[in-house]
Amino acid sequence: MHGAQDESGIFSGSHAIGPTDRVVAVTGACTYLGTELIKLLEADPRYLRVLALDIRRPDLPSDLVKTEHHPIDLTVPTVGTQLAALLRGVDTVIHGAFLSFPTHAASWAHELEDVGTMHVLDACAQVAPARFLLISTTLVYGPSRENPNWLPETAPLRGLSGSRFVSDKLRADLQVQAHAEAHPETRVGILRFAPILGPSIDNYATRFFSRALAPRLVGHDPLLQFIHEQDAARALKRAVDRDIAGPFNLVGSGVLPYSTVLAMMGRVPMPIPHFVARRLYKALWATQVSSTPPTFLDFLRYLCIADGSRAERELGFRPQFDIQRTIQDFVGLTADDEPDIARAQG
Amino acid sequence: MMKSGDPPDPRDLGDDDELDPVPDALDPPGWNGESPHDAIFNDPALWGGEAVVRDGDYAPHVPSRFPDPFTVAGEVRELERRVRNLLTPVFPLEVRRAQPLRSVWKRYRSFAMQRRSSVVDEMGRDPAIASRYQPLLDFLYRRYFRTEVEGVENIPRAGRAILVANHSGALPYDALMLMRAVEREHPARRRLRPLIEDDVFHFPYVGTFLNRMGAVRAHPQNAERLLADEELVAVFPEGIQGIGKHYRDRYRLQRFGRGGFVKLALRTGSPIIPVAIVGAEEATPMVARMTWLARAVGLPHLPVTPTGLIPLPSKWRIRFGEPLDLAREHRGEGSEDRLLVARLAETVRTQIQGIINDLLTARGSSAFR
Repeated sequence: MHGAQDESGIFSGSHAIGPTDRVVAVTGACTYLGTELIKLLEADPRYLRVLALDIRRPDLPSDLVKTEHHPIDLTVPTVGTQLAALLRGVDTVIHGAFLSFPTHAASWAHELEDVGTMHVLDACAQVAPARFLLISTTLVYGPSRENPNWLPETAPLRGLSGSRFVSDKLRADLQVQAHAEAHPETRVGILRFAPILGPSIDNYATRFFSRALAPRLVGHDPLLQFIHEQDAARALKRAVDRDIAGPFNLVGSGVLPYSTVLAMMGRVPMPIPHFVARRLYKALWATQVSSTPPTFLDFLRYLCIADGSRAERELGFRPQFDIQRTIQDFVGLTADDEPDIARAQG
Repeated sequence: MMKSGDPPDPRDLGDDDELDPVPDALDPPGWNGESPHDAIFNDPALWGGEAVVRDGDYAPHVPSRFPDPFTVAGEVRELERRVRNLLTPVFPLEVRRAQPLRSVWKRYRSFAMQRRSSVVDEMGRDPAIASRYQPLLDFLYRRYFRTEVEGVENIPRAGRAILVANHSGALPYDALMLMRAVEREHPARRRLRPLIEDDVFHFPYVGTFLNRMGAVRAHPQNAERLLADEELVAVFPEGIQGIGKHYRDRYRLQRFGRGGFVKLALRTGSPIIPVAIVGAEEATPMVARMTWLARAVGLPHLPVTPTGLIPLPSKWRIRFGEPLDLAREHRGEGSEDRLLVARLAETVRTQIQGIINDLLTARGSSAFR
C-alpha cells in the first residue's frame, strides 16, 4: 500500500542495526503482553523504534516517542506485502497477534491466528530480520493422560483435539518451528506462556475464574499452574533483550490442585460427572451461555504443566510471584489479608 | 509559485493556477497517523468535496471516491468484532470482579481452605490432606492388617533407591501400606513416592487421593525427577495386570512390562530393592471386572470386590530384599540394550516371586490369622 511504503521508507535503509539502537515490531500490540512490552521498550534506551502493528491503536499513553502504530489486519489476504514493506529495517519481530479467549467466530480466528502467522512468516522470509519471537502458550502441549507432571520443551505438542482455540495456536507454533529450520539467518524463539492471571489482564483464564461457580469434574483434581501478568511481561521483555533460539516455557513457580485454586479464589465448585459435563458444556457453548468451550474440560481432568527450568537456566527468568500470590493478586487480596497463607508458605 | 525541486503536496489544492493540477491518488485513510475513523470522516472525497480535476486539464487521474477496498474490509471486520463482543454475553471485567458480599466471600474462602494446605509439593502431595488421613492409614496398617515388616534395613538411610514390588488386590491399598511401612518402620522415617499406573491414577477419586497422599503418575520423567532429588520411589512393574487379575491368579506375578524400572535404574544409577507384599490379594479379592459398565461411564477399569471399597481384614506381610546395584554391575552398558534390560527385569521378577513363595509357605493355610 502506498502510505505504508512511504512511511517505512523514511526510516529504513540508513540505520545500522546495532545492539544499542534496535528496531522492534510487535504484532498484536493491543494484547496485554504486546501493550506491556511496548511500554517497557519505550523506557529502555537501547531501543530506537517500536512498530506497534494491530488493527486498532493500542491503549498506550499518548507521549510515547519511539512507538508508531500501523493498522495491520492479518486477516486481509494481501497483508503480506504491506508487512514486508513495514518490516524493512526491523531487527526483531515479535508475533503475538493471537486471541486471548475462545470465540465462536472460528473461521475468523483461524484466518487471524493460523493464516495470519503464515503472512507474518512470509514477510519475515522476505526481509530476514535478525530475530523472531512467537508468543505461544503451554496449552499447545495439551492435557493428556500421557503427560508427565512437568512437560519439558521437547515434549510432543498434542494440542487439544476439537478445540479451534488451541489447534490454531498449535499450528502457528509448528509453522514457526518450520520457519526456524528453513531460515537459519533468523534466530527464532518460541515463548510458551502458562495461563496468565492478574488483576488487569482479560483472557480465557481470568474469565473462567471470575465466575462465582466453577465446574469440577467429579473425582478429578489435576494440578494447575499460572504465571502472573507482570512476570509474563518481564519474561517477554527479557526474551526480546536476549538473543534466544528455540522453545521456552515461561511459568510461575508452584502448582496447586484445581480444587485448592477454587478455594483460594473463593469460588464454589460445581461437581459434575465428566461424561455429563462434556454434553452440558457443549450445549452451553452452543447457546453462548458459557464462554468456556467443552473441550477445555480436559484441562480439569488431565495434567498440563510445563517445566520452566530452561527459561530459568538460559534466559535467567525467575518469577517474582508464586502461585499463591498470583491468585491473591487476581482476586484483589494483599498478603496482609491472609497471614495464614503467608505462614503456611514460610 | 512552486519550486521545481519540491514534490507537489497532494493535499494542498490551492487556488493558484500554476499549481500542478493533478495530484497523486489520495493516501488510503488511516495510514498517515490519524485513526481510520477520522481519516474517513476527514476525507473530502467522501463528503462530496470539490473534484480535484478542473476544466481544461487532460488525461486526468481521477481518484476514487471510496477508500481502498481492503481498508474497508478491515473496518468492517473491526466493526464485526465489536458487534460480536457486544453480543457475547460476557459481563465486563469490573462487574465480574465486583463482590457485593465481600465478607461472606471471605468467610467462605477461609472455610474452603480449612481442610487443605495452600502449598503442595511439585508432584502434588498436599501435607494437610496427608496428615489428615494418617490416623486412618495407621489404623489399617497396625490394627486391621496387622502388618509385619522384615528387612527394612535394606533401604538406604539416605539417597535414591527404587523399590520394586508386586501389585495385588483389586484396589491399590498395597501402595498406601508400603508407604506407611517405610515411613513407620525405617529408622530415617523416609518418605516413599509410589508410581501409580495410568488406569488407577486417572480413576476418579482414587487417583486424586493417591496423588494428594504423595503418589505420582508412573512416567519415566516423573521418576527421574524424583530420583534426581534423592527420593525413594516405589514401582509396581506389573501395572494394571497386577491389580486387574482374578482372585484365582493370586500371587502369580504378571509380566514386568517392558522393564522400564531397569532402564531407570541403569540411567540414574539407583539401587533396586525387591519388595514382596503378601495379604493384599485377600484384602480386596477381585471376583469380576465390569468392563461394560466401565466403558459406559468412560472409566479405564472397574473391579468388583465382595465388600466394595472396604478391604477384608487379612494379615499382611511385607519383606524387603537385598538391594541390587545394577548400575555398578553393568557400568558402561547402555539402558537401551533391550536384551540386557529384559534379562535384568526377569532376574528381579524371579527374586520377588521367590520371596512371595517363602512368605506364603511361612504363612500357612489361613490368610486372616
